[in-house]
Amino acid sequence: MEPLRQLAKEKLEGKRVIAVMSAKGGVGKSVISSLLAFTLSQRENTSIVDLDIHTMAMSKLFGLEGRLHEVTKNGIEPFSFGNLGVFSLSGVVRDNYVLLPGINQGKVMEGLIAYANIKSSKNVIFDLPPGMGDEILVLERISKYFPIVVTTPSKISTKVVEYLIKYLVNEKRVKPSLIVNMAYFDCNGEIVRPFGEMNGVRSLANEYNVNFFEFPIDPNVEDYVGKIIEYKGSVKVKTDEVVTSLFYSNP
Amino acid sequence: MHEWSVAYSIIRTVMSWAGDKEVLKVTIGIPSFSFLDLDILKDAFNEMKKDSGLSNAELEVKIKDPTFKCRNCGYTFTINEVSDQLQGVREEFGEEYPLHLMPALAPSFIRCPKCGSHDVIAQAEDITIDEILVKESGAVKTTS
Ligand SMILES: Nc1ncnc2c1ncn2[C@@H]1O[C@H](COP(=O)(O)OP(=O)(O)OP(=O)(O)O)[C@@H](O)[C@H]1O
Ligand SMILES: [Mg+2]
Ligand SMILES: [Zn+2]
Repeated sequence: MEPLRQLAKEKLEGKRVIAVMSAKGGVGKSVISSLLAFTLSQRENTSIVDLDIHTMAMSKLFGLEGRLHEVTKNGIEPFSFGNLGVFSLSGVVRDNYVLLPGINQGKVMEGLIAYANIKSSKNVIFDLPPGMGDEILVLERISKYFPIVVTTPSKISTKVVEYLIKYLVNEKRVKPSLIVNMAYFDCNGEIVRPFGEMNGVRSLANEYNVNFFEFPIDPNVEDYVGKIIEYKGSVKVKTDEVVTSLFYSNP
Repeated sequence: MHEWSVAYSIIRTVMSWAGDKEVLKVTIGIPSFSFLDLDILKDAFNEMKKDSGLSNAELEVKIKDPTFKCRNCGYTFTINEVSDQLQGVREEFGEEYPLHLMPALAPSFIRCPKCGSHDVIAQAEDITIDEILVKESGAVKTTS
């Protein structure tokens, strides 16, 4: 009997669960998941759970370094930003590094989800670490999540991400959506594509019949690390569009 | 406060397993290094069970002393050999001691006393439900 798994599963029941994932590292999962969560929280109460238990990017993006989660009778309480609750292992281990044998990683993720107080949230976003590891298996045991796969247009990223798309499509779970981050740069009206054209992405999207959304490069994102909810630039604008199109429009 | 979360997870798990059977007793195992306060844990269990199907259930807690094995050098050791390390963690965090809620974090906070590696696995490091005693049409049934 697995008390944590049972509890984690129950907690997610009836909620919209979104996993922001990629087989490739550094493509913008954490930036996008935090903007996505914040955008959703502008409509409904939302939680974001940082499943990257080693690098804990949420604490950096939201400026939570050094802070510990409060634990009450209701479990781990979120760091709150209006209608958004943020959960990260950094709020449990503070500034200690986390280095764990594989089997323990999944248990820690399950624990974080099971104990997080997400009761009032309609939406729960998971920011996943790069790759195809335990975190995917953990999530599959406890929820039917909506996968949002992030890549850049780069050939290597697109090819690596194909493994994940293939897996998700073969599993016949909820159909993934693809975000092509850093797809273009708007240079005073002229569109520049420093990471290459979209051919690879298009054929991937065609082959697996998934929708994709192109996100711009905005060098200003960097200035908002630590206060990501104040960011209102082009990547946020794009996030608003995608949230509306994926979750709040009746086709 | 962590004790309430642990008690709640146990109640929910037992309830979903037991369905409408009457549960008389639940035996759980807790790793000693989680340093949960057993009085608070039992109080929390007894308080929360009231509005659940477990209102007649008694909680028994068994403290387990895990053994650790280093995967780097093969050394097997007991909790006594890392007690000073664990004490350091308790002093750093006080009430917020991370291994209360997540005993699986242990390898990140302790090193093998022989070689210093974090590549340590623990036997019996989880909070487990070991036995549930239910009343079934007069008879009593034990399950683990
Ligand atoms: N659209 C964008 N425009 C400009 N910079 C971006 C954009 N998206 C992400 N970045 C930057 O790229 C870097 C990597 O982003 P992020 O940490 O979100 O990636 P990740 O996929 O979560 O990485 P990891 O695989 O390590 O978890 C960060 O410095 C971030 O500020
Ligand atoms: Mg990340
Ligand atoms: Zn060793």
